[in-house]
Amino acid sequence: MKRIYLIISLILISSFLSDHVDGQKVIPVRDKYVMLTMPYNQRPLNLYRGQFQASAGYKFAVRAQSFDSDGDLVHLKDNGTGSVYHYYFAEAKYGVTDFAEIGAETNFLRRGIRDATVTVVNITSTAVERVTVNKLTESKGMGDIFIYTSFRLPVKYNWFDFGIKGGFFLPSAKYETPEPANTVKAVSLASESNTTINLHYNYKNGYGVPVWLVSAASKFTFRNLSARAEWTMRDPLKEGQNIRWEEALTDTKFSYYDNTYSYLLSRTCTFDASLHYQATGWFNVGLNASYFKTKGGWTEYWGVKYENPKKHLLNLEPGFELQISPGLTVYQVAGFPLTGRNCDAPFYLFTTIYYKMFPFLR
Amino acid sequence: MRKVIIVYLLIILTAECYSQTEKLLVPSDLKQQTIVTEPVTLRKGFFRAGLLVDYRVADRFFNDSGEKEYYQTSSWGSKSAYGITLQYGITDRFQIDVVSEYLNKLQEVQTTEIDAVTNISKVTVSKQKGLGLGDSHFALKYQVIPELEKKFSLSGRLRVTVPTGAKNPRNIKSENQFDLPVGDGTFALSLNISARKIAYPWSFSGFAAYTYNFNGTKIFNTVTQIERKFRYGNLLETGLSANLHLNEWIVFGNEINFYREGQGEIENVKSDLLPSSRALSYEPGLIFQVYRFRVSETVRIPVFGRNVPSDPLFVLMAQYVF
Repeated sequence: MKRIYLIISLILISSFLSDHVDGQKVIPVRDKYVMLTMPYNQRPLNLYRGQFQASAGYKFAVRAQSFDSDGDLVHLKDNGTGSVYHYYFAEAKYGVTDFAEIGAETNFLRRGIRDATVTVVNITSTAVERVTVNKLTESKGMGDIFIYTSFRLPVKYNWFDFGIKGGFFLPSAKYETPEPANTVKAVSLASESNTTINLHYNYKNGYGVPVWLVSAASKFTFRNLSARAEWTMRDPLKEGQNIRWEEALTDTKFSYYDNTYSYLLSRTCTFDASLHYQATGWFNVGLNASYFKTKGGWTEYWGVKYENPKKHLLNLEPGFELQISPGLTVYQVAGFPLTGRNCDAPFYLFTTIYYKMFPFLR
Repeated sequence: MRKVIIVYLLIILTAECYSQTEKLLVPSDLKQQTIVTEPVTLRKGFFRAGLLVDYRVADRFFNDSGEKEYYQTSSWGSKSAYGITLQYGITDRFQIDVVSEYLNKLQEVQTTEIDAVTNISKVTVSKQKGLGLGDSHFALKYQVIPELEKKFSLSGRLRVTVPTGAKNPRNIKSENQFDLPVGDGTFALSLNISARKIAYPWSFSGFAAYTYNFNGTKIFNTVTQIERKFRYGNLLETGLSANLHLNEWIVFGNEINFYREGQGEIENVKSDLLPSSRALSYEPGLIFQVYRFRVSETVRIPVFGRNVPSDPLFVLMAQYVF
């Protein structure tokens, strides 16, 4: 009897100890940490069902050069007309199913472009008069809100994915051009007078009309290498109207009046092709080639419609994606302009922070 | 009975047992500590070398009234500095620093002058560059209250600035055509007191510093090219920072700092050429610790100021502990 008690006691003690021994566990099919930390090369084009992602980005661009109408590079900083460009970006998107997501994004930009300073000198036998004109064109404000839906192939992502996206830019931004803020400063000393006119033109952000956008993207993965290609087209739904300010200078005071003009935005096509290498589970490096081209559109000047200049630009963008924690990812690219026509060619650094979560999944 | 005991022993051998363990820290581990967990001064015998790159353009500035303005005239300016930092722990509480930098300054201005009578225009382009070794700094840092004994640390730093950079404009061809100076041309002495407290995953710190600038001589006018006696205004700096570990090896840095520099003097008279300036800036950054390597990327964003540039300053840093 004593022996039986001893055996039962030993079995009970042993079973208690064995409770702390973990065996191989089967990972649930929808483990949110697995999905949140999924490396780029194993991730589909869309978010997973129930996944929410908020992103905030900042682009700092140095506009030190541009491409002219012949495609030749113009060094703006040599003319003293270089400038910088601050662009802030915010996006929120949600995976409705594993194959469909909805999202919205907007932006804020600020930039000031200086023109070459011109001084007119009038020297007579009795007096010297100098008039210096500085011109600054400032653009500042919130952009339109872009809402979209995207779909991908209804299969599990293994090595190939394809998706389409469509949406509208709602003309939510204050796009109407505000009054200029020109100033005049006159200084006279005996027979010499100096007048400085600072022309300060203000512009807002936003298209002013609804604009639609469609895109198609595909992604391939081979082991640690991934390739992605995306084509996007953006076009306005209709013509828009805005105001253009005219000014008159009387003595040292400016007066303004506005004229309404019509415009049609150009159609823009963008093509991105990138190659990515998954160095480790939390670090991905990539090289993207981004090309955009505009076509069509016009702007009215004094009752006559002038065709918008055709633009195109090719940028090379090396970058990386770094997973800091399951919910937090940093993505950074640097942009180097290679060729183009009729457009600025800034060098830029674009940093985006993503915050991901599954709000309804425990 | 013996069989039962053998079976029992075999069963418990497979069980997982937990016990309190103490991790043994070796010097190589100590050299891998992050900006949050490391002591405020290097440990005895540790040597750290670093490279620093910063870049800023001149697009906007805070004027004398504290308003942000664009530079109105057609001009373009940029400044990049490539610094080297060497730090050595003499004892666990006493550290010596040597810092120097190579500067690349650029300023380009274009002016067009039109004669109203003849209608002939004359375009003048001035391109001024400043390349060369900048000023150097030597510093001694001491932990007055060491972190190991108390819940926080208090340290003091004495820094001497030596004007190793060229203080005068060089290759002067005309009033607007010359090479920019890359040095301040004066010695300076700075005292810094800082305190830090670690509340893992956070570390909080604050500092206050005062810099006294000594007299010097330099050329202010490229036409007369006469060296004049001058003295920069003294500098008061203070700041608060809160650094957070996002994971075991990435730290999100946050700092708010303020500085105020008094008006400078030329020939013992206060001069508008050396105006008083001040700025309050926010400096977020990411600091990566990969074994003994530390790489950081920070941006200094001026929020308020007077007579200072308002463009962001980008700073990249790489360090290694030997």
